[in-house]
Amino acid sequence: MIQTSPTPLAVAGPTPPRPLPLAEHLRSDTLKAAMLVQQEALQATRDLLRGRGFTELLPPLIGPVTDPGGRGAKALDVDYYGQRYRLMTSAILYKQASLRGFGKLFYIAPNVRVEPPETAETGRHLVEFHQIDVEIADGTREDAMRLAADLLKAVVERVWERVPQELVGLGRDRRAFAELLDGPFDRCTHAEAVGRLRALGHPQSPDAEIDWTGEERLSRQAVRPFFVTDYPKGSRGFYDRQDPDRPGVLRNFDLIAHGGFGELVSGSEREADYAAIITRMRESGENPAKYQWYLDMVREGIPASAGFGMGLQRLVRFLTGLDALWQVSAYPKLPGVLAP
Amino acid sequence: MTGDFVDGFAAGFAEARVRDRARVGTADAFPPEADYGVRVFGAGVSDGCGQAQDDLDRARIVPPVFMPRRLERLIELGREPLPDDVDLESGIGGFASPLPLFLSAFGSTRVGSGDLAVAASRQAGRLGIPMVIGENTVSVHGYRGASGAPSVILSRIRAYLEEAGEGRGGVVVQQSTEDADSEVWNLLYSDPAVQPLLASGRLGFELKVGQGAKPGLGGMTVLTRPEADRLADRFAVRDVLGPGSERVLRCASPGTFTEEIVRQQLHFMRNNYPRARTWIKFHPGRDIAEAAATAWSAGADAVTVDGAEGGTGWAPTAFLDHVGLPLGECLRRIGRPAGDLLVTGRMWEGTRIVRALALGAGAAGLGRAALIAVAEDPERGLVRLAECIALELRLLISALGKYSPSVLGPEDLWWPGSGVHDRQEALTG
Repeated sequence: MIQTSPTPLAVAGPTPPRPLPLAEHLRSDTLKAAMLVQQEALQATRDLLRGRGFTELLPPLIGPVTDPGGRGAKALDVDYYGQRYRLMTSAILYKQASLRGFGKLFYIAPNVRVEPPETAETGRHLVEFHQIDVEIADGTREDAMRLAADLLKAVVERVWERVPQELVGLGRDRRAFAELLDGPFDRCTHAEAVGRLRALGHPQSPDAEIDWTGEERLSRQAVRPFFVTDYPKGSRGFYDRQDPDRPGVLRNFDLIAHGGFGELVSGSEREADYAAIITRMRESGENPAKYQWYLDMVREGIPASAGFGMGLQRLVRFLTGLDALWQVSAYPKLPGVLAP
Repeated sequence: MTGDFVDGFAAGFAEARVRDRARVGTADAFPPEADYGVRVFGAGVSDGCGQAQDDLDRARIVPPVFMPRRLERLIELGREPLPDDVDLESGIGGFASPLPLFLSAFGSTRVGSGDLAVAASRQAGRLGIPMVIGENTVSVHGYRGASGAPSVILSRIRAYLEEAGEGRGGVVVQQSTEDADSEVWNLLYSDPAVQPLLASGRLGFELKVGQGAKPGLGGMTVLTRPEADRLADRFAVRDVLGPGSERVLRCASPGTFTEEIVRQQLHFMRNNYPRARTWIKFHPGRDIAEAAATAWSAGADAVTVDGAEGGTGWAPTAFLDHVGLPLGECLRRIGRPAGDLLVTGRMWEGTRIVRALALGAGAAGLGRAALIAVAEDPERGLVRLAECIALELRLLISALGKYSPSVLGPEDLWWPGSGVHDRQEALTG
C-alpha cells in the first residue's frame, strides 16, 4: 500500500514553464545550482555502484538497431557507410551483451528519443537525456528494485550533505525527503494502480502503461517514492521478462517519485531465452531480422539478468523540485521544439 | 515432334499453358510483367464456369411488404419517407463519415502510389470518407521525398487535409511486419504535418496482417534491378520474371501471427499511440472469426476483412482465383460482429455493399474502383462514383423499409434455392 498525503510538502507545478533562449539559460543561477546538484548525484551513483562491485562502461552511441522503445518515440537514423544506423534510444541490448564479460555493470548513458510533440507539456520529457543504466547478471527483480531504492537514498543523502544551500536556494525543503529516507518504499502492482486511478475517475486502460496524467496523480498523492510492478505485456519492450507463472504479466517495475515528479526508474528481469525473445519481438510488432547481431548472441547464450535505467535529468529535477526537465539540462531539447 | 507427343493427351488439357511454362519458367506463375504497375488486379467475377465465385453476389435483396421501420420514419418525418430520407452517416472505426464507404489501401505499385493516389486522396477528403494509406509506401518510396520533393505518403495526407471538412473522415496508415523497420507509425506520430489529424482525432493506424489478393503471402513489388539493389538489404529479391526480364520481384514477408501476437501487437499500438485509432486488416483466412474476435477483444477500433476478391496489387495467378475465402463466407463465419467490421474486395456498386452491410459489415472500402474512377476523371471521378453508390444505397435501403445502413440484417437477403430467410440461418449458413 502506498502512503498518501492530501497536502505534500512540495509538488511539481501544473503547467511547466517554457525554455529560455540557450544563451540566457546557460548563465542562469537555476541551471548553475542544478548542475552542482547533478554532479553530486553522479558522484553518489559512482561511489555506491563501484562500492558494490559494478564496473562503469561507456555506452555505444550508434548501432544497427536500438531499443524499439514505446509510446510513439522514434529513433534517429544516421547514414553509416551507406547503412542505416540508429542513435541509441537506450543501450539495453548492449547492456545484456556486456554481461558476457561484466557481471555487474553500469553506464551514464546519453540517449536520444524523438518523443511526440505532445510530451513537451508534461515537464518530464526531453529529446536528449541521460540514464544511469544498471545491469546485474543472474539478478532478480528484487535485486534490481533494492539497488534502485538504495541508489536513490544514497543520492538524496549526498546532495543534502554536499549542496544543501543550492537545494534550499531552489526552494526545496529537506522535509520533503524525510519519508524517503525513513523506510522502505511502498509498492503496488500495475493492476492495483489502475484500480486506484479508476476509483478516482481517471480512465486508465488496464492493458497499457499508466498514462502521464495518471502517473502524476498517483505521484502527487504519495509521500515517498513507490514501486509499481507487474506491468502487462503489450506495454513494455520485448526484453522485459514475462512471469512464467502468470502469462501476460511482466516481471518489471517502475519507481515513481512522490510530489508529482513521476517516474524516475524503469527496470525488469530480462528475457534471455532465444525463442521467448523472438516471440516477444513479434508480439511487440518488431521484425526480428533487424536484430540479427543481438539474436545471434542470444542464441549462443547470454546470462539471465535484471537491471534498470534511472533518468538522470528526472532524478535531478526531483532533487531540485524544479518545474520542468529542461531546467536541469544545460542544452535542453524539448519534444517538437527546434533548439540549438 | 513435340506436337506428336502431346496428341495423346485428353482434349481440354492446358497444353498451351504448359508450353508457356516450359518456355518462360517461373515468370508464368505471375500475370504479364508488362501489366505491372499500370493495371489493377484482383480476382475476376467468375470462376470460368459462369458461376459467381462469391456467394454474396448470389443473394437477392428482398424487400418485405410490411415495413414497421418505414412507419417509424413516417412518424418521425410527418410525411411519407423517400429514398432521400435514408441517413447514410456512419461511424467507421472511430471516425465520422457521411457514407458507409472508405478509401482502401492501394499498395506501392506505380498505379497505386502516383498522381492517381494523390487525386484519390483529394477526392476522399472532399467526400469526408476515411482513407487508408497502404503498407510499403514508406519502405519503398521513403518518408521524405528525394531532394525536397514531398513523398507519396505526405502528399496524400496533405491532399486529403486540403479538401476535408471539419470533423469528417480520417487518415489511417498501414504498417506491416517489414514496414516496422521504417517505423512508419513513429515517423507519423511525431511529424508536425500530421498534428492537425491527431488534434482532431482523425489519425488511425492499421496493422496489416494480410491481404485478399494473396492470402498468406506478403506484399510483392516488381522492381528494376537498380531499385532492387537499393532495397536488397531490407527485402528478399527474387529473379523469377524470366531470363530476358530487366526486372525482379521483391517479396515482403507477411509476418508471423498467432492469437497472442495479434492481441499483444494491438495492445502495443494502443499503448504507444493513444491518440490514434487502432485498425487491423486480415486476409480472408479460414479462422477469420477467431481472428476478428481476438482483435475486437484487444481493443481494435475496426477490423477490416479483405475478401479473396480484393487487391489492386500484382499477385501470383495461382492466388488470384484460387486462394482464400470469398467475402460472403468470411461474413458468415464471423456472424454478428462484436465491433466495427469493414469489408473490401470488388466493391463498386450498391448491391454488393448492401449485401455486405446486411451480413454485419459497417462500411465498405473502395480500392480498385477508386483508382479506376480517378483515372477516368482525376478531379471528380471518385466523387461521382461515390455519389452514384450513395444513390443506389438509398434506393435499396429504403426499398427494404429501412432508413439507416446500421439496421440492415440477414433478413434482407435470400439465396436462390436455399430457402434461407431466417436471420440465424443466414448468419451461420
